[in-house]
Amino acid sequence: GAAMAALLEHESQIFLELFHRDGLAVCARGLGIDRLLLRFLRLYCEPASLVLVLNTSPAEEEYFIDQLRSDGVVHLPRRVTNEIANNTRYEFYTQGGVIFATSRILVVDFLTDRIPANLITGILVYKAHRIIESCQEAFILRLYRQKNKQGFIKAFTDNAVAFNTGFCHVERVMKNLFVGKLYLWPRFHIAVHSFLEKHKPEVIEIHVAMTPAMLAIQTAILDILNACLRELKRYNPALEVEDLSLENAIAKPFDKTIRHYLDPLWHQLGAKTKSLVQDLKILRTLLLYLTQYDCVTFLNLLESLKASEKAFGENSGWLFLDSSTSMFVNARARVYRIADEKLNQKGKGSGSEKRDGKKEKELKRELVLESNPKWEALREVLKEIENENKNSDNLGGPGQVLICASDDRACAQLREYIIAGAEAFLTRLYNKTFGKDEKAGEEWIKDRKAIKSRGNAKPDTGPQAKKAKLTASSKQNKHKKQQDRTIIQMIGKTEEEKREEVEVEDNEELSGSQEGNTEETIPEDFDVNLPSDCYYGIFKDPLTIIHPLQGCGDPYALTRVLHEVEPRYVVLYDAELTFVRQLEIYKASRPGKPLRQVYFLIYGGSTEEQRYLTALRKEKEAFEKLIREKASMVVPEEREGRDETNLDLLRDARPASVSADTRKAGGQEQKGVQQTVIVDMREFRSELPSLIHRRGIDIEPVTLEVGDYILTPDICVERKSISDLIGSLNNGRLYTQCVSMCRYYKRPVLLIEFDPHKSFSLIPRGSLQPEISSNDVTSKLTLLTLHFPKLRILWCPSPHATAELFEELKQNHPQPNAETAMAVTADSEILPESDKYNPGPQDFLLKMPGVNTKNCRALMTHVKSIAELVTLSKDELSKILGNAANATQLFDFIHLTYAEALAKVKSKK
Amino acid sequence: LKPGTKSSSIIVSPRQRGNPVLKFIRNVPWEFGDVVPDYVLGQSSCALFLSLRYHHLNPGYIHERLRALGRSFGLQVLLLQVDVRDPQQSLKDLAQVCLLTDCTLLLAWSAEEAARYLETFKCYEQKPPDLLKERVEHDFLSRVTDCLTSVKSVNKTDTLSLLGTFGSLAALAGASREDLSLCPGVGPQKVSDKVTLGGTPGTWG
Repeated sequence: GAAMAALLEHESQIFLELFHRDGLAVCARGLGIDRLLLRFLRLYCEPASLVLVLNTSPAEEEYFIDQLRSDGVVHLPRRVTNEIANNTRYEFYTQGGVIFATSRILVVDFLTDRIPANLITGILVYKAHRIIESCQEAFILRLYRQKNKQGFIKAFTDNAVAFNTGFCHVERVMKNLFVGKLYLWPRFHIAVHSFLEKHKPEVIEIHVAMTPAMLAIQTAILDILNACLRELKRYNPALEVEDLSLENAIAKPFDKTIRHYLDPLWHQLGAKTKSLVQDLKILRTLLLYLTQYDCVTFLNLLESLKASEKAFGENSGWLFLDSSTSMFVNARARVYRIADEKLNQKGKGSGSEKRDGKKEKELKRELVLESNPKWEALREVLKEIENENKNSDNLGGPGQVLICASDDRACAQLREYIIAGAEAFLTRLYNKTFGKDEKAGEEWIKDRKAIKSRGNAKPDTGPQAKKAKLTASSKQNKHKKQQDRTIIQMIGKTEEEKREEVEVEDNEELSGSQEGNTEETIPEDFDVNLPSDCYYGIFKDPLTIIHPLQGCGDPYALTRVLHEVEPRYVVLYDAELTFVRQLEIYKASRPGKPLRQVYFLIYGGSTEEQRYLTALRKEKEAFEKLIREKASMVVPEEREGRDETNLDLLRDARPASVSADTRKAGGQEQKGVQQTVIVDMREFRSELPSLIHRRGIDIEPVTLEVGDYILTPDICVERKSISDLIGSLNNGRLYTQCVSMCRYYKRPVLLIEFDPHKSFSLIPRGSLQPEISSNDVTSKLTLLTLHFPKLRILWCPSPHATAELFEELKQNHPQPNAETAMAVTADSEILPESDKYNPGPQDFLLKMPGVNTKNCRALMTHVKSIAELVTLSKDELSKILGNAANATQLFDFIHLTYAEALAKVKSKK
Repeated sequence: LKPGTKSSSIIVSPRQRGNPVLKFIRNVPWEFGDVVPDYVLGQSSCALFLSLRYHHLNPGYIHERLRALGRSFGLQVLLLQVDVRDPQQSLKDLAQVCLLTDCTLLLAWSAEEAARYLETFKCYEQKPPDLLKERVEHDFLSRVTDCLTSVKSVNKTDTLSLLGTFGSLAALAGASREDLSLCPGVGPQKVSDKVTLGGTPGTWG
């Protein structure tokens, strides 16, 4: 890797501002907030500093560390995880430098004084727009400011749009961050704009026209989307009209927007509204698929929707609209048309197997397999680059090419298209997807072969006839066909092509096992030494690769590849704001380096284009709002909490008069005793510990096997959110927990905590069935009460209410003892927490029959993945689980087929 | 009528006459009887009913009732109907009262819901806790759904579609990235989540 590039003009300006005065820096997306953080990291990578970094993901941390390493930094940042033992943690911190810390660990270390708070140089907060939701980081900052008045707090984000929701969002975030300064760096900032203008890469925008069928489908989807929105508003007049516009419905964050409005009243929504929300989601997916993938993938999704609508009988009313018919007709027309009887006869004659009537009907399909216009445009672009590369002596030889598409699937498709061609690719996909009527696929291949053999004499009749239906693009297609050849010949791919034809012949003979064979028509992907494993290679020389814009495990994969490949040409098959900006910065930061041209492919007049423009506009508007808010913002002097006057740092929420009263009532023994609550480690994911701490009660974090909070030696509390309550009543967990609590504590308590943003009620209004049903949460709660008459139930509308109640319940009672609480052991129902195993798969395993908390660990040690697990025999499972009955249960569960399961259900009924 | 008396009906104190809750008790029989609590629900369980609106007008009432009741039943429920706009303060106070007087607090947001609790107490009087315990015998589909939905971004519909496409959990776990993405509605994100679950070599996750 190259040494760290110097900061750009505007970047040094942001750096200096933030360096001199604590604050929150909001940059435009892609404008290099990571470069800014990196600069601060480099500054503090030395033993004399102790700087904590909050809110970074492991992949980001790895990227930053890699960058610093290649920059020659010696004292690299370290990570604090559970693997560093508690008793060595203090020493770990005192070694100084930059430390990436998991918030949950940091909270506990602050509470238990395992971190030398007074020695901390400062805290850097990444993705700072989140600080309002994730209370844990806010809690850390508060604990830090209570104990350290000198250190700095500097916060970074590139998500201006996040501040656009809610009232005074940015001010609340700044309050939580204890910063008084707001630094705004939109793309239209004069310094940014004028600088980047000077170093603009040459951008060629190619507006591709959609095919008539695609256009018709898009129109149909938009019609239906509009109809759904209208319905939604009709059922819920309270919903803000502006946010439910068609434009917003197409934009990316719409799912979030709608949840924001509906979540608080989700309980009370009718079935109609809920199904409308579901439909909107599906329609948005359809829109995305239309421009993103090929005609076969789109049709497959559409057909499956229809099938599932039948199967589940859910009320998707729009499936019956006229527009919906148009959508289906056009989607099918892109893939096949129903051939006339003659062709069908021919097809039948060549088929060796006899089919039933239904199959015969399907045989009549004649494949159309419409190619994607963008594919053709991409081919054109690649050809242009190829030509330019041929005459590139004055540029020092051919330049490398980086093609970017939205996700992995899109990239894989593009690669196959470029290498195998549209026909071969779509045919393979068709056979794989609608494999049951492989006959049609065979026909298609046969036709194509016939055309090819005839091709010598009359080269173009075949394909042209085939595509005559698509009047708009047929001529172009023919034209392209010829180019196909030339490109492929130019880059020496003729052998591939030949091999493919041989494969096709083989295919015909082995009509039954087409899948396996066609798979091999794609030449092996080759390996280049690149810092990403998401790319698809196309040509080795000059290096040409496709890389997804999203969905890589490493969020910096594309950035790394960009810097490693140093492409002369970048083709943006899909438009993404962040990466476009990143290219600008990339170009500006290395004047004289290769990047010559950026090709930008976009369907003109499509929702894809609309989405891109909306994203641009939203960010611009968000910055304008922030600028206005900043202008009218009054920041109190004590905001930074560097003296004793910031009220947020006080740890007693009670008004003075009340507290005096209760203190008196507390009696003599109460005087001077510091209140303490023992809290289970796992509870630090919630905001309750922070709120309790704020009330002046000390928190003792330990690992508890029974209960979540120990308030007094007698009171043990198990906290459940509504979804936890329902889940744990269903899976037996709550029953076991109540057994243990009742066994060890005089006053076992079940705390039912409601989400303050959702409605305060247990069951949706009007949903009560006329009869008692054992599935109802009320029924289960009643049964629980009957079997645990000692169990007390607390109902709290919010965590704030819980904290207040806890404080009152503790009054006049002695403090709990951590050693005693930790000594209480349940029947090992709870797995000890460990960083070794990923909780995701563990949850997955524990939900399988035959797997329990006792044998789960053994299973995870012996088997590396679920994929491996399913290959084990019953005997092998039995050995690992140490129990034949469990092994049988698990084995049967893994191997029972869906069809068998359905049959079982039916026979029972 | 004393605690310990067997009856197939809920015995309702005449004080409750006129309470709208009564007209929603339809699934079990009830009759008036001379009892200390408002409702005697079984041999050792009873309930006092309180509407928060009434409580706000007569804050002393419930304390008197609780004092009169003492600790004569094994399970004493305070059934509270939340019918005021801002219940937080009273809820907090009553929660403390319940802790002091060994009462179990249950909240209902309508007379109908309150009646449902009363009915269920009577109906489930002899019911074993099996319903609450972890069941070994689950039906296959709900268990598989449970399993697969523990993967982030996989929902119930996906489960059915995945199972329908691949046939069994074994086949699903062995499916390739492309096979998975052919499954309708399973986007790239889901595929990569699923792939992570399948595991990078050597680790779980």
